Amino acid sequence: MSRTRVLALQAASVLVLLAAWETVARAGWVDPLFVPAPSAVARAFARMGRGALIGLGDTLVKTAIAYALSVILGVSFGIVLGSARPLREVLNPFVVALYGMPKILVLPWIMLLLGFGAAPAIVYGTIHGFFPILVLVAGAVRDVDRTLLGVAHSFGARRWQLYWKVVLPAIVPTVLAGMRLGIVFCLLGVLIVEMFAGVRGMGHVLNSFANGFQAPELFAATALVSAASIAIVLGLDGLNERLAHWRG
Amino acid sequence: MESYPELVPSLLLTLREILVAYAMAILAGVGVGAVLGLNRTVGRIYAPIVGALYAVPAVVWYPSLMLFFGLDAASKIAFGFLLGFFPITLAVLAGIRQVSPHMIAVARAFGARPAVVFVKVMLPAMMFTLVGGLRTGLALTVIGVIVGEILGSKSGMGALINHAYGLFRTSDYVALVCVTLVLIIGSDALASLVERRAQRWTE
Repeated sequence: MSRTRVLALQAASVLVLLAAWETVARAGWVDPLFVPAPSAVARAFARMGRGALIGLGDTLVKTAIAYALSVILGVSFGIVLGSARPLREVLNPFVVALYGMPKILVLPWIMLLLGFGAAPAIVYGTIHGFFPILVLVAGAVRDVDRTLLGVAHSFGARRWQLYWKVVLPAIVPTVLAGMRLGIVFCLLGVLIVEMFAGVRGMGHVLNSFANGFQAPELFAATALVSAASIAIVLGLDGLNERLAHWRG
Repeated sequence: MESYPELVPSLLLTLREILVAYAMAILAGVGVGAVLGLNRTVGRIYAPIVGALYAVPAVVWYPSLMLFFGLDAASKIAFGFLLGFFPITLAVLAGIRQVSPHMIAVARAFGARPAVVFVKVMLPAMMFTLVGGLRTGLALTVIGVIVGEILGSKSGMGALINHAYGLFRTSDYVALVCVTLVLIIGSDALASLVERRAQRWTE
């Protein structure tokens, strides 16, 4: 089956689903208070357009900051943890425990410490993105080929040259994989904070539509966030592929 | 903790929500994953859609679920189910794809019926991936239920945590978090036990 055919069938399935949904909603088999027709959702989309885009922008800015922080912190701590063996052996159980622990449990505590606003969202998003990147990068640094390091060392490479010329190029694929994984986690963290105690941002927008029983607007906003995050992930995937190509 | 008469009922409620959500996630995940994996055409068309939906931070669905199912247990079960469903589905899909086609062909040639092929050939071959997916699914279901309870509910551990936080009773909050952590670690320990069993069985 060709790629275009697959794409066409995917689009057709989505359209059939939407049409069936519209029919069911129009026939009155479901309560429009809870399940609005796709056409009503589209109208709601036009109605709330600006407000939702502002909310989305707010969320994405916080996510971008959290993402930058978690990549920088995750990669640098990962390199430190991966290259210092005693440190790794001591800290590893703690890192694994923190990574595995559901972060939602510390959210109320973060709120108590940082109050409302952008700061808790950024911190919580950073925590979400930081750990997977840290664990991946530390593993990659630990597994860098010893022979390469030995050869570089015996040819008189200095310490910074070892890191800059051997370790960094070797861990690029892992860093990219971590970045791909991290973005969804950062967005997740930011949205959770906005839902839990936000006054702005998409999480807050979604929550207030749900509390106000504005189902069409809620569906439209949900679709908007989902589309944005799918677009970001696909964009990163594309970037990844191009970089892989460039690396050879 | 005698000042918390609701503790035991809340713990039991959360546990029940997790169990129901996990059972539903296993049923739906294995079913959908099997359909996507066994039928090549269906898999090529719909597996990418499932993958794309997995890239959405699941919490965006939670307000809609709250609207459908209200503030009671149903919305938490639905959210836990949703979080557990995806890793299980994708694990079943990946597991089926890694079964060697030769083994299936040989089993068929010896006259094994499809059901027998599934149970005797495919299941053992994909056990490793499947059990890993089931374990991830359990962890995510637990998180889903607790996130749901903290974001909005009237009962369960999450509600107690939220209540303590709202009243600035920080020591109570820490104690409740510890109790919840025991629940989470316990469930994960159980899952890893099952995982090791399954691995031994495969070998």
